[in-house]
Amino acid sequence: METTRQSFKRLDGVIDELHDLFESWEQEGALLSHLDLDTIHLFRLAVHEWVANLVQHACFDGRSPEVTMDVIPNGRRVRCIIEDNSFGFPMHERLDVQREALKPYPERGMGLLMLNAATEYFEYTESESGRQRLEFTVSADSDPCLNIPF
Amino acid sequence: MQATTMNFTIEPIAHDSVVIRIGKALDFRNAADFKAAAQEQVRSGIRNFILDFSETGILDSTGLGSIFSLYRQVSPMSGQVVFASVSRPVQVVVQLTRTYKVFRQFPTVEGAREAIR
Repeated sequence: METTRQSFKRLDGVIDELHDLFESWEQEGALLSHLDLDTIHLFRLAVHEWVANLVQHACFDGRSPEVTMDVIPNGRRVRCIIEDNSFGFPMHERLDVQREALKPYPERGMGLLMLNAATEYFEYTESESGRQRLEFTVSADSDPCLNIPF
Repeated sequence: MQATTMNFTIEPIAHDSVVIRIGKALDFRNAADFKAAAQEQVRSGIRNFILDFSETGILDSTGLGSIFSLYRQVSPMSGQVVFASVSRPVQVVVQLTRTYKVFRQFPTVEGAREAIR
């Protein structure tokens, strides 16, 4: 599979659009040629958690949401860049707070931690054009773990 | 008698046990509905929950949180929450979060029914 770019304009249906896309990739066997099925599911989970975070928490301040997703397969890894035109937030501070606040059997506050745990490389920055940019990779050779207190 | 709530089908199997068929997704869009439906069952005396994930393609952090919430509710009353027919996408979440340490898993709903009887 070659690098692909997808664009999303509506937040209300973006999750369904996203999963339809993954299902079509799986049916075509495109991503499967590079990655095993469990890694694809892990990648799909990471993308879902991030887009779910955008849908629930991102501030677009009246602007029409614009989200782009680049998927770049690379052997037993897949790299993903998701950019959006929201205001962004201090991701690493939020992650630290959520990590500290995680209670046994938590009901909330696991989304970013799950995304972080699922990914091998993970960076959130503002691009030169002022868009918020999340870049991460998911690897078939890792055994990721989110350490939830039980 | 089966009851369908949003995407969930709830089937009583004993006076204190139900099977909840999760359907296509348990995520931030329907986790509150799952929690409300499960709470309603607890209020009516249900203590054991078999969650059937055979058709589930999406379980996200919020969905998992709603299951933890149910577990916190029933475990002090000697209740159980167990997973059955776990699909690959759900198994990936279980593995990532190591929740197999909390929720027993069974290959089939029938197997889970036998175990919690």
